[in-house]
Amino acid sequence: MTDAYEAYRQKARSWLQSIESEFGREARRGLTEEQDLALGRRYQSAKYAAGYAGINWPEDFGGQGLSHIEKVIFESEEMKFGVPSVYFGISLGMPVPILMRYGPDKEFARERVIKALKGEEIWCQLFSEPSGGTDLAGLRLKAEQDGNGWRLNGQKVWTSWAHYSDYGVIVARTDPTVEKHKGLTYFWVDMKAPGVTVRGIKLAGGDSHVNEVFFDNVRVEDNQRMSPVGGGFAVAITTLMIERYIATDSGGFGPHLDLFVDLAKEVEINGRPAIEDGRIRSAIARNYAMRAGLDSITARAMLMMQAGMEPGPEGSLNKLVAVRSRQKLSELAIDLQGNSGMAFEPHAFVKEDWSASWLNAPTGRIAGGSDETLLNTIAERILGLPQDHRPDKGVPFNQIPA
Amino acid sequence: MSILLDEGQQAIATESRRIIDARENKAKALDLIEASGEYDAAWWDMCREQGWTAVALPEEAGGLGLGLVELGQVAVAVGAGIAGAPFLTSSFGVADALNRHGDQQQKARWLGLLASGDKIGAVAFAEGQNPLPTKPSVTFSDGKLSGTKPAVSAGLHADIAVVLAFDGTKSVLVSVDLSGVERQRINSFDNSRGTADLVFDDSPAELLQADDARRAALEILARQAIITAHEQVGGAEKAMLIARDYANTRKAFGQLIGAFQAVKHRIAELYGLVEIARANALHAAANADGPDLIKNAAAARIAATDAYDTSARDSMQLHGGIGVTWETGLHLHQRRTRTLALEQGNLLFWEDVLVNELAGEKA
Repeated sequence: MTDAYEAYRQKARSWLQSIESEFGREARRGLTEEQDLALGRRYQSAKYAAGYAGINWPEDFGGQGLSHIEKVIFESEEMKFGVPSVYFGISLGMPVPILMRYGPDKEFARERVIKALKGEEIWCQLFSEPSGGTDLAGLRLKAEQDGNGWRLNGQKVWTSWAHYSDYGVIVARTDPTVEKHKGLTYFWVDMKAPGVTVRGIKLAGGDSHVNEVFFDNVRVEDNQRMSPVGGGFAVAITTLMIERYIATDSGGFGPHLDLFVDLAKEVEINGRPAIEDGRIRSAIARNYAMRAGLDSITARAMLMMQAGMEPGPEGSLNKLVAVRSRQKLSELAIDLQGNSGMAFEPHAFVKEDWSASWLNAPTGRIAGGSDETLLNTIAERILGLPQDHRPDKGVPFNQIPA
Repeated sequence: MSILLDEGQQAIATESRRIIDARENKAKALDLIEASGEYDAAWWDMCREQGWTAVALPEEAGGLGLGLVELGQVAVAVGAGIAGAPFLTSSFGVADALNRHGDQQQKARWLGLLASGDKIGAVAFAEGQNPLPTKPSVTFSDGKLSGTKPAVSAGLHADIAVVLAFDGTKSVLVSVDLSGVERQRINSFDNSRGTADLVFDDSPAELLQADDARRAALEILARQAIITAHEQVGGAEKAMLIARDYANTRKAFGQLIGAFQAVKHRIAELYGLVEIARANALHAAANADGPDLIKNAAAARIAATDAYDTSARDSMQLHGGIGVTWETGLHLHQRRTRTLALEQGNLLFWEDVLVNELAGEKA
């Protein structure tokens, strides 16, 4: 790490320390989600004022005009403080940068971007549907021409934070008579428009940050279109690729391994300290080796970026490997506690509570690309293995058997 | 040192891979399996000609003055090609021990010869199933070594060994000229490692200077383990790529077998293990002089052993019947996985060492 970047990290860390008592993990304990969101909006605003919002975005959109290196440095530090930034992750991660790039009206886009950076407005991303998520080009929600605009009819699902969102970006089918990925168009929508209904989905872990979103004859103007008609698939892929350099967590966004070691020192197995038990020691050692490897991959990617090089594709391993291991380690941590491991605090933080980590781990293995999808990507893009058999290739969308 | 390879290090990696690829000789490797007590002499000559024996030795001793990062890159290539002998690592271990714990005379006598490859070294710490005994059964007194070090890699061919022994009150490190020492050859599933029992019988030996000999031995073992981890990464990557290439060639049910997820996902999983192991190995090599040597070496060792074991195992499985034939030679990787898993301490040993470090206990 060069001195300038190290200085940036130090500065970011001091700022985060200065706001920790107001916005950190302890300040959030016991808050309802609404209270936590309100705190999050204030945090986002403080971040904007301090120059840590939109770090790698252009200055004329309220950003700082720095590189993605500074952004990843800040986010890596920020992750340690448990601040309420989760509500803005998707908003600022994908839809808003896309608006900046493809928004047809620059003044409008600029106003939205700055409000989003300050936490005043939130954007969601309306891609997945009941009939498919991984098969992005297979979506069915219709956009039909209506005068100089469009009418949207259909349903989206798994839309994170739609219930708090002011706007969203959406991919819709404008032509069902051509191949599936050629009949899609990309728009932004007003989530408060008539005909938009948001219904929460309670997830296995008990929380409800994702939603079903219904579109019933929702009017969209043609100037809300962000791709050529029929050119939406490319923008959708760009949306998913835009966050190429993000802060990663070799703990799979679950508890740190130190917490497991501490637990193993506290409890006993058949009257002997668990930390002396070979099974536990093996689990600790294997997890450490795996996480240390992922950390080194991340550290090398940072060095490559700083040297102006493109990081290697091995960075894509993090989510696949880390979340899976977090799931198994959380199971073991619960077992280690014996019957007392059954106690559960529904509002516990995933990063410090094994039960919360374990209950929510399945979501982590599916959201943002399932394990199986990631394995396909590694096999096909990195190793050059053949694509799966795809019977819908070259077939007009409306002739694909449903 | 950075974990990002610089141009020179990159060149060493590419060049050693090129040379080893050009001289790949599967027939020779297969013959060696059935030839107890032999190694690939042409392979060893190549290592010497290329200066790989000198890479990580100090310049004043005739070495190139580079470090474990560079030797590690050679080891990756060596592992991919399945080494014809274990000497690069074992001789480095001896040179490393002499360089850190030997006196001027000992260094002057041996380091140059080890750097040129004229002499071969063996490291004899393990006894039975214990890679690093707390009270070795081999004893050292009045400048004489007695007892047996079993199954020492390179022991059959080595000219000098560094031995962990017991002097009646504590562990000591000694170096011993093997010219008059009896070696009992051991037939192995992976012949060409020169595995032999070293039988010391009042053998003249010289004390090396180490305040805590067991700790010194652990650190020597750790630096060797980092090299072996690189070798395992090379082998693991090669076995994975062989499987990948086969899956891109072989057809069944009207398509390449690589199109079946049962096949492609298994290969993708191997890629993950290889890259995690590579990152650990490189991190350990780049920080070998830092305070976390033991922790890093243990992580490198664990990840690399896991990667090579799984890659060789799955590569054979993915080939189907052809994978288990003698001639295809995938069993060369299978055999080598176990040898490398045992040399420099097994997984069980390193797991314990690592957890001792993490839990704040003494190793």
